[in-house]
Amino acid sequence: MTAIWAIASSTLGEAIRRKVLLVILLIALLLLSIIPALSVLSARSEMSAMISTIYFVIRFTSALIAIILTIYMIPNEIERRTIYTILCKPVQRWQFLLGKYLGAILALALMMGIMTALALIMFYWRRPDVVKLAEVAKQPVLYFVEMSLLTAVAIFFSTFVAPLVNFFITTGLWLVGTVLNPLYDSFASNPQTGPIMKVMAKIITSILPNFANYDVKNPILHPGVVIQNEASYYLTTVGYGFMYIAILLLAGIVIFDRREV
Amino acid sequence: MAKSKNLLLGIAAVLLVGQAFINVDYLHPRWSKEYSMGKQGGLASGLGADQAFLELLGFREFLAGMLWVRGDTFFENGNYDAVLPIIRLVTMLDPKNVDVFGTGMWHIGYNFTDEDQRSDRRYLPTALALGKEGAQQNKETYELYYEEAWLWYHKIDDDYPQAVRWLKDATSKPDIPPARRNLLRNAYERNGQPDEALKYMYELQAKAKADYDLDPSRQTQADYGTLTSNIDTTVVRLVQRGNMAKANGGYDQGDYDTKPPFNVGFSAKVTVLEPKVLLVEGTWNVLPVGTRVRVVLRDKDMKDAIPGGADWDKMATSVQLDPPRDLTFMQDQLFVRNMHFSRRIDMSKDPTMYPFAKDNYIIEFYYNPRSAPPHMQDKFGWNGEGMTDTNFLRTDVRPGGQRIMYTSLDISRDQILQRGKWSNLTTVLKTKNYKETGGASGADDDVIMVPSLRSTTSPSAATTVPPGGATNSKG
Repeated sequence: MTAIWAIASSTLGEAIRRKVLLVILLIALLLLSIIPALSVLSARSEMSAMISTIYFVIRFTSALIAIILTIYMIPNEIERRTIYTILCKPVQRWQFLLGKYLGAILALALMMGIMTALALIMFYWRRPDVVKLAEVAKQPVLYFVEMSLLTAVAIFFSTFVAPLVNFFITTGLWLVGTVLNPLYDSFASNPQTGPIMKVMAKIITSILPNFANYDVKNPILHPGVVIQNEASYYLTTVGYGFMYIAILLLAGIVIFDRREV
Repeated sequence: MAKSKNLLLGIAAVLLVGQAFINVDYLHPRWSKEYSMGKQGGLASGLGADQAFLELLGFREFLAGMLWVRGDTFFENGNYDAVLPIIRLVTMLDPKNVDVFGTGMWHIGYNFTDEDQRSDRRYLPTALALGKEGAQQNKETYELYYEEAWLWYHKIDDDYPQAVRWLKDATSKPDIPPARRNLLRNAYERNGQPDEALKYMYELQAKAKADYDLDPSRQTQADYGTLTSNIDTTVVRLVQRGNMAKANGGYDQGDYDTKPPFNVGFSAKVTVLEPKVLLVEGTWNVLPVGTRVRVVLRDKDMKDAIPGGADWDKMATSVQLDPPRDLTFMQDQLFVRNMHFSRRIDMSKDPTMYPFAKDNYIIEFYYNPRSAPPHMQDKFGWNGEGMTDTNFLRTDVRPGGQRIMYTSLDISRDQILQRGKWSNLTTVLKTKNYKETGGASGADDDVIMVPSLRSTTSPSAATTVPPGGATNSKG
């Protein structure tokens, strides 16, 4: 555990020193600070436009940070040969991988926390309502679980593919994963879709990580929407995320263990 | 080591199966039911890839707002066609934006017109379908139910059961302003349910009284006063038109404004002046100003057509931005002055609105007392019991045996376009009873005589026939 924690804290330190991530974070913070001014473009829907744009900025930049942060982590260690100095100590490869993952998650939590804090301040400035503020804060929590899953996807692929390829694979999986539910619904409800296509769609939905489940902003934006037992959905979707993360990390450990470095 | 790797892979496989079950059997169905933003067929059915990309990132309300601003610019420039896809896109991106649904319905339903400001009614199903979709997506507010009802009540102005249905839904929503509730009363009356209208107004009055007692402001006082005045008016109408007597079984013995039925003496002549230009003339024995006889020219084999209109609700199945381009459907009003009408209908300037793609057409004349102004209804009644026509009274073209005037004339494309054997001939179509009015449609049109329909000295009083004496014939 000490080894994992040591690697995680060192990864966190590296992450917060990487200029590219800090630039992305800065741009996100700038965008978040001007969102209240942009929301006037939506007459009578200022609040929902503001909230949805806040969520967009947080989700998009978090995904970008998660992918860029993770895809280079292991390949860079191998390329710079710094991995030898770590693995020659009594550190197992699985500990190294878990430590890297944990470090990435901590860095992500820090950056997402800063973004969310600013977003909530901006929101409270426009609408000083603590109840609504608590409501708005729910979505970033699930986004964090989503980004943890995305980080696991990136770290899994980083054990056997090059960073550039990993970037495209992880980004593609995230994009597909965010539309899995609506895409599947479209296929299922379209009478022109053949049975083979429907089965294929179901298989794909079952196998790929479903990032769409973490998009729960509808009832937050539109309070008229009635949700039955919200807590059970949140807990299940978090549990689903942990399960998928475990799958990816286990598979990553097995692959990384066989890899020649 | 190999054993532990196999164990890890085994655990991963079990978790993979487990997550699939959780995702497919629990999370996905719940997400689709409760967290999905749009329920109009999903992304793949409507949005393009680029739009879907923005949608999936949760940028849609903001994007919708920006697009709507752009749409407003198109509208200001008169580029109405360009506004249509924006309306569709914005309603897909932000299905909770009731303003865009409402404005879109109005725009689609009212703003597409020909050179003479006749609406392109081929767009009506689109407007209605958009309203249905909007109401479905925004069940918590009265607004789109009300907008849909308004289209039925005001624009279609014929199928009042639909107006009542949508207004009932609208008035069941708590956010509807008091003044807007009153439209349901009008719809009940036009739907031939004056008793329901009165009952409803008493309910509103009781509520207005309670509001006034709670907050005796000028507004609540005005609401209460208006309702009381409207109730008085309706009660007077119910008495004078004989509805109360009917309810008590005394209609036959009493002297009511709707007795005896008034013979409107409809006749019509249609002359093809130039290709796609018609002159419609005719008679209507009602002297007071306010009669508008509906004239429709449409494909004879139009699907979902009904006498004097169309089954718009049946046609409003989905939001189609392009109306059926090969359909010709012209609807206009013939304004009666001094007991006759004369209107030039020019369809030559709008070939896309009037394509004349079929061989055969029908010209229909339709008058429903339910759409008449109150001073006409005082004589004709809400159900046409005070109206008759020797030749064209029909009780079989609208539900419930409504007494309306309806007749039709057949015309071919060659006749309308003055082609083939009609190239050197002037087509003149007439109802059997048409008599030339001579100079009546000339300068004296500016002189409008306004006697009351109740006047015993009215020239029309001598021409009344009992309802049983009318024939349901087609000219």
